[in-house]
Amino acid sequence: MKHTVSILFIFISSLAWAQNPGAKTEKDFYEIKTLPIPQDIYLEIGGIATMPDGRLGVSTRRGEIWIIDNPYQKESHQTYYRRFASGMHEILGLAYKDGAFYCSQRGELTKVTDTDRDGVADRYEPIYQFQLSGNYHEYTYGPVFDKNGDMWVTLNLAWVGFGEGKFSKWRGWLVKISPDGKLEPFAAGLRSPAGYSINQEGDIFYGENQGDWVGSGRVTHLAKGDFAGNPGGLKWAKEPNSPFKLTLDEIPDNGSPMFEAAKKVKNLKLPAVWFPHAIMGISTSDILQDTTGGKFSPFPGQYFVADQGQSKVMRMGLEKVNGVYQGFCINYREGFQSGILRERFGLDGSMFVGMTSRGWGSTGKDDFGLQRLVWNGLTPFEINMIEARPDGFEISFTQAVDVNSVKKAASYALRSYIYKYHHQYGSPIVDVKDLAIKGIVVSADKKKVRVVLDQIRQYFIHEFKLTGVKNEAGELLLHETAYYTLNQIPAGDKVLLNASNSPIVEKVALEKKMSKVDPAKTTTLISDNEAMALLKKHTCVACHAREEKLIGPSFTDISKRKYSDKQILALVYKPNPKNWPDFATEMAPMSHVPAKDVLKIASWINGLTQKKANDALINRD
Amino acid sequence: MKKLFLLLLMPCVSWAQQEIPLNDLRAFDQPSTNWTIEQAVKANYTDTSFQVSLGKGVLLNTLRNGKYKRSDDLKFKLNHGDIRLILDFMLPKGANSGIYLQGRYEVQLLDSYGKKQRMKFGDCGGIYERWNDARGKGNEGYEGYAPRQNACKAPGLWQTIEIDFQAPRFDANGKKIKNAIFKKVILNGILVQENMEVSGMTRGSLFDKEAALGPITIQGDHGPIAFKNLRYETYERPTVSLGDLNYTYYEGVFTNLQANNAPPLLKGKTTEITGKTIKVQKDFLLVYEGELNVPESDTYEFISHWTGKGRLEVDGQVLNQGDYWYSDRVSHSKVLSAGKHQLKLSFSKDFSWGNRALGLFVKRIGSHLVALHARTSLPDPEAVGLIEVKAEAEPVYQRSFAFHQGVKKTHVIHVGDPSGVHYSYDLNQGAILQVWRGKFLNATQMWENRGEPQTSEPLGLNQVLDGKFPLVTSGQAQPDSVNNGQWMYKGYRIQHGRPVFLYQWNNVMLEDNLVPNSTGTGWTRTISWKPAQGTKPTFDLVLGTSASVVKVQPGLISLNENQYFIQWNGGPETVQNLANGKQQVRIPVEGNSISYQVIW
Repeated sequence: MKHTVSILFIFISSLAWAQNPGAKTEKDFYEIKTLPIPQDIYLEIGGIATMPDGRLGVSTRRGEIWIIDNPYQKESHQTYYRRFASGMHEILGLAYKDGAFYCSQRGELTKVTDTDRDGVADRYEPIYQFQLSGNYHEYTYGPVFDKNGDMWVTLNLAWVGFGEGKFSKWRGWLVKISPDGKLEPFAAGLRSPAGYSINQEGDIFYGENQGDWVGSGRVTHLAKGDFAGNPGGLKWAKEPNSPFKLTLDEIPDNGSPMFEAAKKVKNLKLPAVWFPHAIMGISTSDILQDTTGGKFSPFPGQYFVADQGQSKVMRMGLEKVNGVYQGFCINYREGFQSGILRERFGLDGSMFVGMTSRGWGSTGKDDFGLQRLVWNGLTPFEINMIEARPDGFEISFTQAVDVNSVKKAASYALRSYIYKYHHQYGSPIVDVKDLAIKGIVVSADKKKVRVVLDQIRQYFIHEFKLTGVKNEAGELLLHETAYYTLNQIPAGDKVLLNASNSPIVEKVALEKKMSKVDPAKTTTLISDNEAMALLKKHTCVACHAREEKLIGPSFTDISKRKYSDKQILALVYKPNPKNWPDFATEMAPMSHVPAKDVLKIASWINGLTQKKANDALINRD
Repeated sequence: MKKLFLLLLMPCVSWAQQEIPLNDLRAFDQPSTNWTIEQAVKANYTDTSFQVSLGKGVLLNTLRNGKYKRSDDLKFKLNHGDIRLILDFMLPKGANSGIYLQGRYEVQLLDSYGKKQRMKFGDCGGIYERWNDARGKGNEGYEGYAPRQNACKAPGLWQTIEIDFQAPRFDANGKKIKNAIFKKVILNGILVQENMEVSGMTRGSLFDKEAALGPITIQGDHGPIAFKNLRYETYERPTVSLGDLNYTYYEGVFTNLQANNAPPLLKGKTTEITGKTIKVQKDFLLVYEGELNVPESDTYEFISHWTGKGRLEVDGQVLNQGDYWYSDRVSHSKVLSAGKHQLKLSFSKDFSWGNRALGLFVKRIGSHLVALHARTSLPDPEAVGLIEVKAEAEPVYQRSFAFHQGVKKTHVIHVGDPSGVHYSYDLNQGAILQVWRGKFLNATQMWENRGEPQTSEPLGLNQVLDGKFPLVTSGQAQPDSVNNGQWMYKGYRIQHGRPVFLYQWNNVMLEDNLVPNSTGTGWTRTISWKPAQGTKPTFDLVLGTSASVVKVQPGLISLNENQYFIQWNGGPETVQNLANGKQQVRIPVEGNSISYQVIW
C-alpha cells in the first residue's frame, strides 16, 4: 500500500505542479471514495449491477457474484459482503432485473436466481450458450438490457498474434438476445468491446481498444448492420441471418485512414469520437451517459468513458450533425486504484467504478478495487461542450471567460490529424496540420466562444489546447486539452471576419525556428526537470515512470537495455513490442514527437544507469 | 504471450526401463511358496482376497502355509544402487505390504483407501519410520514421512507406484558420507514424496547395516498382494563426456546459423557449454565444437534447450534443429559406436526478448542424465505459486476450460465435495469427464495472469472417464457427441450445495444428479426423467466402454484393465463388441430413473 501511495503521489503531484501553485485539481470537485474489500476476497470486478433496494451486485473474474450491503457508506464506512453465487466462468458483465441477476460467462449468458430466498443462488439457467474455441482472449461482456427487455452482449475476438473471430460463432459481434434465447446478430467489426451502453435515445455505443485494424481507442455508435472496422469476425457475415454481407478481401489494407476505406466499404462505421492513444487512455472500457439529472456531474447528458490501463474516467460530449454522432473527449478524473472495467450509477447518482488489472497492467497499482466517483456539487472551470460550425467550432464553458484571455491567439494551440487503418497493431498519428485561428467571437454571457479556423477537415481529429483561457477569476481550465472528431461539417452561417473578431497577436519574441536537427549529432544533456517537462508534454508519463513499472517499463529499465539514443529514437517512432514481452499493452508509435525532443529524452534515459552507477560509487562506504 | 508457449510445452519425461519377466519366479531369490505367477487377479473392493485366473504375467502372494512369516518376504535377484522402479500392484481390502529399496528402506503399500484422517508415514506411499530401541520405550520410532495426500485406489484395482531412489554413498573406508534419498515417489500419478532423505534403515530391513547395493524386497508377511509390469532402470553404465571443446563467438545477423567467413569476436578453448559467453541480447552466433567421448556403443539421447535458433550436429549429422523457447525439450537419439565423435552446437537469436539460455543433456539407458552445459547457462522456470480451490466446508463448483484426453473442453464444471471426492463434467455433453479424490482443483493456469491455456486441473487421484452422455435410445449406437439439436442444456439447480444438471433430450426432461456414495469413496449418479405425455421411452444406459471388461460379480464390473469400478442395482449387463475393438457395457433401463456408482 505504501508503494501505491507513493506512485500516485508522484503522478498526481507532477501534474499539479504544471499548473499554478494552489490551482484547483480534479479532486477538489470529483471525489473518489474507496469501498473496503475483505482481504480474502479476490474482487476482480467484471460486472456491477446496482440493486433497487440499495445494495450492490458485483461479479468477478473468479466467477462469483457478491452482494454488498451499505455500498453508499452512509452511516458507517464499513460494507458487508455476501457471496450470492459462485463457480461461474470469468463473469465480465452483470445486470439485475426483476429479482434476478443476469451475467455473461465466457461461454454462456446466464440467469441466476435464489428461488428459496436464503440469500444464495440455487438456479443457474442458460439464456444462451456461446460457442468457444477455448482461446484465452474469447471474452464475453454483458448483458445490457434495453427497454424491451432484450439483452445485448458483445463477444471479444480470440488472439493468435492478431484478432481472430473465426474459431467460434459471432466472435467480434454485438448480438441481441431475447429472454427466451433467440440470438440476433446486430453489428460486427468489434475487436475488444469491453464496454458499451445504450443512451437515452436508445442508441448503442461501444468503446474499442487500440489493436490490429484499430489505430487508437475510440467510441463508435453501432446501428444494425454496421461494421466497426476489425474484420476478425467477418466469417459470420456469411451466415443467413447476418444483417450484412462483407468479406476481408473487400477491405483496403493500405494504411489510408479509415474514412477513405469507408468510402469504398458501405458498412464500415467511423467512430463517433476518437480517443487519441496514450493521451485519452490506452484501453477504453465502459461508457455511461450521465442520466442522473445533474447529480453525477455538472455535465448532464454527456458520457463518461473509463480507461483500463490509465485508471481514469474521461468525458465525452456528443452532438448529431447530419444524423451522424460526433463530438469531443476530455479528461475528467484520474487516480483510481486499479484498471477500470465497469461503471454503473448508484441510486444517489454517484458512479461505482469496478476494477481489475490482472493480465493487463494499469496505472492504479492495486490488483483490483471498487471505488465510487462522487461530485461534490462545486463546478470547476471546464470546457462544457464543443460543437462543430461550418467554419470552425463553438466551445462553451461552465463559467464566464476572461474575454481578454480568449481573444489572444496565444491562448490556443490547435491541430488536426488522423490514424492509419491497417492490419498492423495501432498506428502513429498521420497527416498532422497545425491550425490557425482566424476569428474569435465571444457570446454575450461570455460562456461561449466561437473560433473560426483557417482549415477544418472532415473526419479528422481536431486537437484543442486552451492553455491560456481563463475565467473571470483568472483561473485556468481544469482540463485544457480536448479532441473533437469531425465526421460531418454542419451547414449554417459562417462568421464574417473583421477587425473586431480577429485574434489578438501579442508582440512576444517568437521562438527561433530551429534549423533541421541532425539526429546523429544531438547529444544535449538535459536536467531532470527539463526531462520531466518533455515527458509530460509528449504524454510519455501516461505509461512510463522513472523507477516504477506502469503500463510500460520504467525509464531506468529502458536505460539498462543500453540502446543508443538513435536506437531509442527508432523505437519510439516504430516500437517493437517483442522487446518487452512481459508487458501486456503494446506501445503506440509516437512518430509525431519531434526527433530533437526524443533524442533529448533518450540521452536523459541513458544517463539514468550511469547516474546510478555514480551514486553507487559515491555511497560506497 | 511467451508464457503461453512455455506452459504448453512442459517437458514430458519418458524413461526407458528394463522389465522383469513374470513368466516364472526366476528373477527372485528363493521365494516362499506363497509367491506364484498367475494370469490375472480380481476382487470386489470389499473382498480381502483375490479371485485368481491361471497363467502368466502377474506375481501373487497368497497365504498357503498357515501364518505369514518373515521368510515370506520376496527378495529380488536384482542388486541395485540408484534405481528408478515402476510397478503395478493390487491390494485386497485391508492389505499391508511394502517395497524395500536395497532391502533396507521401505515405501509403504497399504490399503489406505477411504481413509479420511491425516495421512501418516504408515499409509500407502509413506516412507516408513526408522527405529532405535536405544531411544527408550515409546520413543523408538522416528523420522518417517507421510505422503502428501491419500492417493490410494480402491482394493481390487491396479495401482501404479514409481520410486526414484538414490542409494547412500560411502567413502573408501566404507563410512557413509551421504544418506539415501527418495528423490520421488509417485503413487497413481500423484507426487507424494520428493527429495526425502532417510538417515538410516527401516526397522524391517533385511540387513544390519547400510551398503552401496542391495536387493529390492517386497514385504510378504502381512497378507495378499499382486504385482505386474515390474520395470526399472539402474545407472551403473558409463556415459559420454566432452573433450577438446572450442568455441567461436560472432556478433551480427547470421541466418541459418552460418558464420559465412565473418571474423569471430572471441574464440578459444573451454570445458563447458555456456550461453554466458554471449555479450549481446540479440544478433549473435555462438558455436561450440568438440569431441564427444563415447565409452560404449549404444543409443544416446541428446536433449537440447535454447531460446532462439539452434542446431546440434554429431559427426556432421543434424540431430536437433529449430526455433524454440528454453523450456522446450528437444530430443533426438543416435546410435554411437565407442570412441571419439564430433559434436557441434550452434546457437543464435535474432530477437531481443528472452534469455540467452543454452543447454544440452545426454541420456543413455542405464546411466544418469548428464549436462554438458554449465549450470548457469540454463535458467530456472518462472516461479508461479499454486492457486488452489478447496472444498473443505461445503461442496464447491467451478467452471473453467479443461483438457480431456488431449482435447480442450470449454463448458466444463468441476464439482468438489468435502467428503473428498470430486468430478469434472462437460455441460455441453451431459457427461462426466473425470473423477478424482483428494485435493480439489488447481486453478493457477486460469487465475494467474491471463494467457493460454486457461485450464484447471485435478489436484488428486484422477480417473479419466469417456466424457460421453450415457443414455442411448435402445438399440442405437452411442454417438460421440449429443450436440445434434435433439439435446439441450438447461442449466443446473443447487441441491444440498451440489449442482443437479438439467437437460431436454428428445422431448424428455432429464435431471442428472451426482452425490457422494454412502462411504464417501465414489460418486453415485442418478439420471431421472419425465417422459412426454403418452410415451414410454426405453433407453440403454452405457456403463462404460473399455478395451476389456472384467465382471467382478453381478452388478459390479471393472473397466480399463481394472482401473475403476462401476456398480449398479438391477438388471444384468450386456457387452457389445464395437467396431473399434472395444467392448461396451450397457444395461437396459425403463421407468423414470437409473443409478450407478463410479468407484476408483
